[in-house]
Amino acid sequence: MSAGGNWDARDPGPVVRPYAVTGGRTEPAGGEVLDLITIVVASGKAAAADDPMGFTPEHRRILRLCQQPAAVADLASDTGLPLGVVRVLLADIILQGRITVLQRRGGERPRADLLKEVLHGLRAL
Amino acid sequence: MGSAPSEGTPGEPLAAFKIVVAGGFGVGKTTLVGAISEVRPLHTEEALTSAGVGLDDLSGVASKTTTTVAMDFGRITFGNHLVLYLFGTPGQERFWFMWDELSYGALGAVILADTRRLGDCFPAVDYFEKRRVPFVVAINCFDGAPRYDPRDVHIALDLDPGVPAVLCDARQRDSAKQVLIMLVEHVLASAAAGRSKPRRAQATGLA
Repeated sequence: MSAGGNWDARDPGPVVRPYAVTGGRTEPAGGEVLDLITIVVASGKAAAADDPMGFTPEHRRILRLCQQPAAVADLASDTGLPLGVVRVLLADIILQGRITVLQRRGGERPRADLLKEVLHGLRAL
Repeated sequence: MGSAPSEGTPGEPLAAFKIVVAGGFGVGKTTLVGAISEVRPLHTEEALTSAGVGLDDLSGVASKTTTTVAMDFGRITFGNHLVLYLFGTPGQERFWFMWDELSYGALGAVILADTRRLGDCFPAVDYFEKRRVPFVVAINCFDGAPRYDPRDVHIALDLDPGVPAVLCDARQRDSAKQVLIMLVEHVLASAAAGRSKPRRAQATGLA
């Protein structure tokens, strides 16, 4: 029984499948899908002693990055994790109260006074 | 304007904005974003949800088929409370769901056009018109590409009279900056006029 010629030459695919770090979950707990530019920040709340779930290394990385306010897109880029995965992990941490949403971006039009500030900022670049 | 209660720290609430940079494949979206900000990669794995997705997946790993969508984005910070994000649309136009994600709540869009392949930006023009996302058209002047008067491009794309179209060089920081300024001015003007008329007869294809 030959094991076949080149089984080890084939591309094995990603070592860890993208949603393995979320335990296979593709939907954020709580159901809210945070926008790419929603800004979050660590709340400073300590881990609960009886933390039922336990954070994975990826959870902790996100929590560390949130010591400064960060947008969801920043977190995905900085961790190199897929956006969908970051949303799932972020929702876990938010549910535990250790990250809070600073600015929730909705579908509304931006305020004119802030747009004018952006305009001034661009001109000054 | 129903300003949402700020959950930020007292003082300067953070405000983030996003601009979508769209256009055909290879038209210079990443170049434009990179000319004015540091480009960073972003990717996502979208689950192709269809049959077989249930709560009884006990394997603990995602067994669904996923597809990778790669994008990039840039960030410009003004002062300590304003952040502008520039998102390039994924190169492959089949990822329309990603366009929805990027356009949701976007301040506006820049559609980059290449006069040699003007038809490539038709889908983007249609997309932002239908969703009433304010946009400008920036004609990227590639070396060796024929130069056209922006007014001719405006006509060829059947743009609304108020939609700006300008020439640009996506490699040049100042040119990229002018395009963004033009967009924000257009957004402010559109908001002030309080209208964006439904329009557009069927465009006759150039390409």
